[in-house]
Amino acid sequence: MATDSSLPSDLTPERPSSQPHEASVIDASLRTPLTVLISSALIWLLAASVLGIIAAWKLHTPGFLDTCEFMTYGRIQPAQSNAFIYGWGFNAAFAVSLWLMARLSRGMLPGSGVLLLGAAFWNVGVTLGVGGIILGFSTSIEWLEMPGFAAPLLLVAYALIGAWSLVVYRSGRSSEIYASQWYLFAALFAFPWIYSVAQVLLVFAPVRGTVQSIVHVWFTSNLFLLWFASVALAAVYYFLPKLLLKPVSNYYLASLAFWWLVVFGSWAGLSRLLGGPVPAWVQTVGAAASFMMIVPLVVIGMNVFGTLSGHWSALKGSLTLRFIVFGAVAFALWLLALIAGATQGFASLTQFTYFTAAEGQLGLYGFFSMVVFGALYYIVPRVLNSDWASVPLAGVHFVASALGVILLVGSLALGGLTQGALLADAKVPFAGITQASLPYLFSANVGLLVLAIGQIAFALNFFWTLARASAPSVRSVKVLLAAQPEVSR
Amino acid sequence: MKPAPFLFLGIFCALSFSFVGLVLTNQLTYGAFTTHVDEDEGKAFPQPLPGLAAQGKLVYQDLGCVACHTQQVRREGFGADFGERGRGWGERQSVARDYLRDERVLLGSQRVGPDLRNFAARKNADGTEHNAEWLFKYLYAPTSVVRESNMPRYAFLFKTQPIIGQGSSKALKLSGALAPAAGYEVVPTSRGEALVAYLLSLKDTYAYPETKNIYTAPAPKAGAKQEGHK
Repeated sequence: MATDSSLPSDLTPERPSSQPHEASVIDASLRTPLTVLISSALIWLLAASVLGIIAAWKLHTPGFLDTCEFMTYGRIQPAQSNAFIYGWGFNAAFAVSLWLMARLSRGMLPGSGVLLLGAAFWNVGVTLGVGGIILGFSTSIEWLEMPGFAAPLLLVAYALIGAWSLVVYRSGRSSEIYASQWYLFAALFAFPWIYSVAQVLLVFAPVRGTVQSIVHVWFTSNLFLLWFASVALAAVYYFLPKLLLKPVSNYYLASLAFWWLVVFGSWAGLSRLLGGPVPAWVQTVGAAASFMMIVPLVVIGMNVFGTLSGHWSALKGSLTLRFIVFGAVAFALWLLALIAGATQGFASLTQFTYFTAAEGQLGLYGFFSMVVFGALYYIVPRVLNSDWASVPLAGVHFVASALGVILLVGSLALGGLTQGALLADAKVPFAGITQASLPYLFSANVGLLVLAIGQIAFALNFFWTLARASAPSVRSVKVLLAAQPEVSR
Repeated sequence: MKPAPFLFLGIFCALSFSFVGLVLTNQLTYGAFTTHVDEDEGKAFPQPLPGLAAQGKLVYQDLGCVACHTQQVRREGFGADFGERGRGWGERQSVARDYLRDERVLLGSQRVGPDLRNFAARKNADGTEHNAEWLFKYLYAPTSVVRESNMPRYAFLFKTQPIIGQGSSKALKLSGALAPAAGYEVVPTSRGEALVAYLLSLKDTYAYPETKNIYTAPAPKAGAKQEGHK
């Protein structure tokens, strides 16, 4: 592939600044809020992991913890997904997007009081929501199970947190807008819209009949594509050129992928309703939109793997890069599954099976979480101004995460295909399907345990680094500006 | 690349496009869909849930049954939900009008357990009808009724109480290890009764105009002549 070194330097995310310590001043201004956001994200990640293992265990051993109403599968499973999505996913996405926006816009966070208040509200909201599910106030709407009393709190908290990305952007010195920022703006803008529409039309003033199902699928698919995938793609577009020290190849196509994803991707999830009780045109349009995702698949693939080609050896040296490349591959597979799901044959085979669960895990864990882990390995030492406490723990985290995702997604996908094939054959009694899927469920559970090992390693490493960093010298922005100490990067 | 206002405008337009196209259009076109009044029967279909069943639906929601059970029979050609070689999960495919009265539509996305949309209209594997007694026992101890069942127990929807007088008519007929101590009986709580009433109300057997005369591709016959190409 042709070298892109002739491209103008403004295609790299950050231009060298005239002020040598600008980056560390920005990092220092983000220190407190990012510490709070990342800490809460990690606590939620571990909580979701415990809930997830309990739920997965119940699937193959239904007698496990079945005497108590609060521990029944129908409550533990949504509690897990909500803790993961709103607890881990959002806190982590807030942290990464704020840092990316600050660095790319070259703007400091002017103050962190309101942001911390927002973070507190958010976590209280998620706690109320997850607790509400376990206590029996679930709405039974997938990914929106949190009871109505938690939702307004989340929206207020979101406003208090999300606004700071815009403040940082406005106060920044950089007038250019890089690809990462397009995705961040789209994510920031999309979430309050889709979430409030879904809450109003599904929970507070439900629309009639299966219009609800359309609103619901519209929400869930956009929550993944326009929030989680957008934040993760922003990180991919930022770190890839930065760590490889070269511009993104075929960068001119990146805007095509972005607009394609925003315009048509927001219609794509409807293919989940194929064969269901909704108008035929909705199913057809959904399938067409899903199929059109082939364009961002190709373009993002060209951007990511084009940039990487010839630089694969860099993967050895950088943990962040390894996580991010793993995530990018997972996203490509996720898009492929979405495209395949637009065809009737594949959809009727995989619909309502563990294959859809595998798709969900591939997107949320294999792509989003892995990219965020990678980003955090870069961000945390800079924000805390301290190296990671343990290199081996970080290695354990990567190996466990990669193995865990492969095991979890692989067994759920294979189990789902088996389950789908048996479901389509009415001669097989239902109990036979249940029995046939047990081995897959068991190995998926092993995958979750392996993932948990990685998460524990990561959490230990983070809190250890945090404890070490805050002990000797707490550096505030003022101190930094006055002393201008050595910059680690 | 682009000035920020244009970027915002673009994102706004893109989201409006899908919001108007999917949410608003559907709400305007069939959000005001009405029930079907059958003049012969003098009723409007679908019929509202009876009171106890409506309470039971709330129990169904709070226990998260939707995590494992769908409530939709897919059209022919999609799996084997119904039809000649189907599982008999319904007499016909589910249509939008079936859900008109559902304040919360619980289509579901996983079939860890069987579909329940027509639960009350179909029979057990051994040919017996679904009835409250069967269902209570199944919820209390699934494997005592269906040995290979993978459903967890819902024993918390039942209470053990001392037998007073002749005992409750709702007491479960249990035997073996499940049987309560002498002088005691196991009866469903009010939530358990409501849940069972809801499950026994699940049937989409009424044939709406739109469910009749649905085109189904004829089975290919060997050597059959194609019409229209003479």
